[in-house]
Amino acid sequence: MSLRRGAAIALTTAVSAATLVACGSGDETTGLIVGTTDTVVSIDPAGSYDNGSMTVQTQVYQYLLNFPAGSTELTPDAAESCDFTEPTVYTCTLKPGLTFANGNDLTASDVAFSFQRIVDINDPNGPASLLGNMASVEAVDDATVKFTLNSPNDQTFPQILVTSAGPIVDEDTYPADEVLPDDEAVEADGFSGPYTITSYDKNELAEFTANPDYDGTYGTPSEDVVTLKYYAKSENLKLDIENEAIDVAYRSLTPTDIADLETKDGITVHQGVGGELRYMVFNLDTMPGGTPAQKLAVRQAVASSVDRDELSTGVYQDTYTPAWSMVPEGQTGATEAFKELYGAEPDLDAATKYLTDAGVTTPVEVQLQYNPDHYGSSSDQEYNAVKRQLEDTGLFTVNLQSTEWTTYSEEFPADAYPVFQLGWFPDFPDADNYLSPFLSPYSEDKAGNFTNSHYNEDGTPYADPEMTTLLESERTDGDPTTRAATLGQIQTRLAEQVPYLPLLTGTSVAIAVDGVKGVEDTLDASFKFRFTSLSQ
Amino acid sequence: MSSAEVLGPAELPSSRPPAEAPRRPRLSPLARYLLVRLALIVPMMWFLVTLVFVLMRVIGDPIQAAQGGRLSPEQIAERQAEAGLDRPLFTQYLEYLGGILRGDFGTTLTDNREVSDILVQNGAATLELSVYALVVAFAVGVPLGRLAARHRDRFPDVVLRLGAILVYAAPVFFVGLLLKLAFTPFGWPSSGRASTSTELALSRGEHETHIMLLDAILWGSPDMVLDVLQHAVLPAVALGLLTGGVFLRLVRVNLLQTLRADFVTAARARGVSERRVVRQHAFRTALVPVVTVMGMQIAMLLAGAILTETTFEWKGIGYELSEYLIARDFLAVQGIVTLIALIVGIASFLIDVIVALVDPRVRF
Repeated sequence: MSLRRGAAIALTTAVSAATLVACGSGDETTGLIVGTTDTVVSIDPAGSYDNGSMTVQTQVYQYLLNFPAGSTELTPDAAESCDFTEPTVYTCTLKPGLTFANGNDLTASDVAFSFQRIVDINDPNGPASLLGNMASVEAVDDATVKFTLNSPNDQTFPQILVTSAGPIVDEDTYPADEVLPDDEAVEADGFSGPYTITSYDKNELAEFTANPDYDGTYGTPSEDVVTLKYYAKSENLKLDIENEAIDVAYRSLTPTDIADLETKDGITVHQGVGGELRYMVFNLDTMPGGTPAQKLAVRQAVASSVDRDELSTGVYQDTYTPAWSMVPEGQTGATEAFKELYGAEPDLDAATKYLTDAGVTTPVEVQLQYNPDHYGSSSDQEYNAVKRQLEDTGLFTVNLQSTEWTTYSEEFPADAYPVFQLGWFPDFPDADNYLSPFLSPYSEDKAGNFTNSHYNEDGTPYADPEMTTLLESERTDGDPTTRAATLGQIQTRLAEQVPYLPLLTGTSVAIAVDGVKGVEDTLDASFKFRFTSLSQ
Repeated sequence: MSSAEVLGPAELPSSRPPAEAPRRPRLSPLARYLLVRLALIVPMMWFLVTLVFVLMRVIGDPIQAAQGGRLSPEQIAERQAEAGLDRPLFTQYLEYLGGILRGDFGTTLTDNREVSDILVQNGAATLELSVYALVVAFAVGVPLGRLAARHRDRFPDVVLRLGAILVYAAPVFFVGLLLKLAFTPFGWPSSGRASTSTELALSRGEHETHIMLLDAILWGSPDMVLDVLQHAVLPAVALGLLTGGVFLRLVRVNLLQTLRADFVTAARARGVSERRVVRQHAFRTALVPVVTVMGMQIAMLLAGAILTETTFEWKGIGYELSEYLIARDFLAVQGIVTLIALIVGIASFLIDVIVALVDPRVRF
């Protein structure tokens, strides 16, 4: 190749490249573009119980009740009203004239069908476990649906109607006995939420178009078209919001990325109330300590030694805040039980005293397990910091190990780990959802204590009769004041026994380019990201 | 007995073929070679498909692996029965083979998708990326290899050889990351196969082939074509350089060997200029081994595509494979690995065809 020819090719390439950059993309309209790293398991509510699927379902399905933006107050969505008509019967009356986007009427029969099929299908990815207290559901007439419950006066049941178990589907287009594949769900157009799906490429791109017939909690969408773009890697999501190739980035960027984006012009980091909880679990059977009293002393000494502020600021750049109870701050009934009992700062004297009084030989050897791929990439830093904090007291030596989630999720309920990491993302914004799943008596169907990690001294599953009574009381108490008092008692008792050690609670974060409005409105404790709130 | 048989064919006049014993039409060496290669594909495919099936069963029961932590033993057993996994292994194997022949690879366990849909949609993306990468590999490897050979052991040769080692030794995700860091600040797109608006528009097209460039051309929008090409540059370069480095060294070595051949010496002796010797005499001959190696490089490209696709959000089959592996969805993995095996098998055959056409020595 001659130099002249080479130079010509190089010049042509450079000009072409410049032209490509200058030309940019096609001029088709996309409306607002939201990016996420969450993935959809299934649009069909019977086949999914995860954040990615819930984000889509929030936009396209209607629920009987729902949370308006910025609130955790239940308000009617498809229902006109809902109430307990008997202690074990919860009855809802539908608004008149509701229809699905495909033109089919939305009646009580569709509602009963929607809940019943979740239980019948019982998909491993589905939310059937949330309906454990629903004995039956039936359509009394076209406008009335009746839920019969196993336990009376279940104050959490109305909240269940807003979870992944709550979307109403069209009984004419959804099968009763199997999950509807996403493409068929989109084609069926059995949606009655604020948006319908007009283009869908699973976990790549989904286009939502405002549903003109929607009559529900969220009101009329500000944006006619919203596009949801899925990313495999958070670094690409970060680059695209940084370059304003998308308008909003919602879940999940690393704390470092968020801190970096806070310094950029033209972009705003919005933070709202979060409900995510990060905590440690003690397996009461296999944890260090020769007697129950020594085990309790070890747990209390650990509780006195961890520095939550350092984890919050040093590891998570303040995208998480210290958790002083299993019920995070901001939830009705939340207390600061751990701060009251063990102090806000690490207390070496107190930790030493717990161990000395119980006759525990120091240093205590702790086998600590964490998971590197399910609770965010910073778990590694978080648990290395916990190890360091504990070892710095001179009271503990920590053997820190990590295990991938697929194995971890099978091993932790099988007593493989004496002390281990878990996280919790609530099903609905109620204090009970942070307590019952952890403190109820163990049951094989996992409706009780899901961690399966509490054992009495004789090896039988853990059950604290007093705690069980308190939980039953708060679940069935319709009086908010007395219920809050009971919740406080539960949290104090939990802090005294320390079967779990709450560490951090997360904030909801979304990053938007300047000019996008309404982001902060939807970052509330309901964990629903509503496209109806967004506008530009 | 005819006179022809008495005299023997060599004694017959060439203008008179024997009427009584017509000559059986014989296949040309090329056709025979291709038929043999084609026939060999079938047992090779069968072996690959069987190997994948056996390996996936050796790993364990796919339903237990994907959903074991979330279901009771009774529910696991129920789902195994539904999926036919409680039947004898040989029956499952026959059904698996039958399914492949019908184009039915089953349904994923974790997100309820038809595996065949994944193969079509994401497979097209990987095919597109592989073609782009091959173009880059040729564009970089062949001319630079030629340049290195011409300047043997001089400065350009040393630099190019070092560069070649660097690009094929560097992990593809690292090269990808560097490219992203270098070009993204200038607004060059670093993820996805096209901008959101183009992807949305093309997904509405009547004749969606899932090959983005083809779809954009069929759509008839130059803007979209440019947009698609623009998005392809960084992933194609990241993956193409990997193979380009191999090509560069291969072309250089083969060209140097050819330049020492007798026919090249003869050409020089006839006074043919050095440039013409390289271009017209040595270069084509030196390319034959490159084409052969290309077959092996396709498997390497597909392996590299897994990392490239994840780095650049190029949602091809490699990306899906990594996702389903993480989720331990072995039914999906089985289908994808089978497809990759088929692609490699077919590509090897096509390379054999090309080599046979280019190099007559192969077919005789």
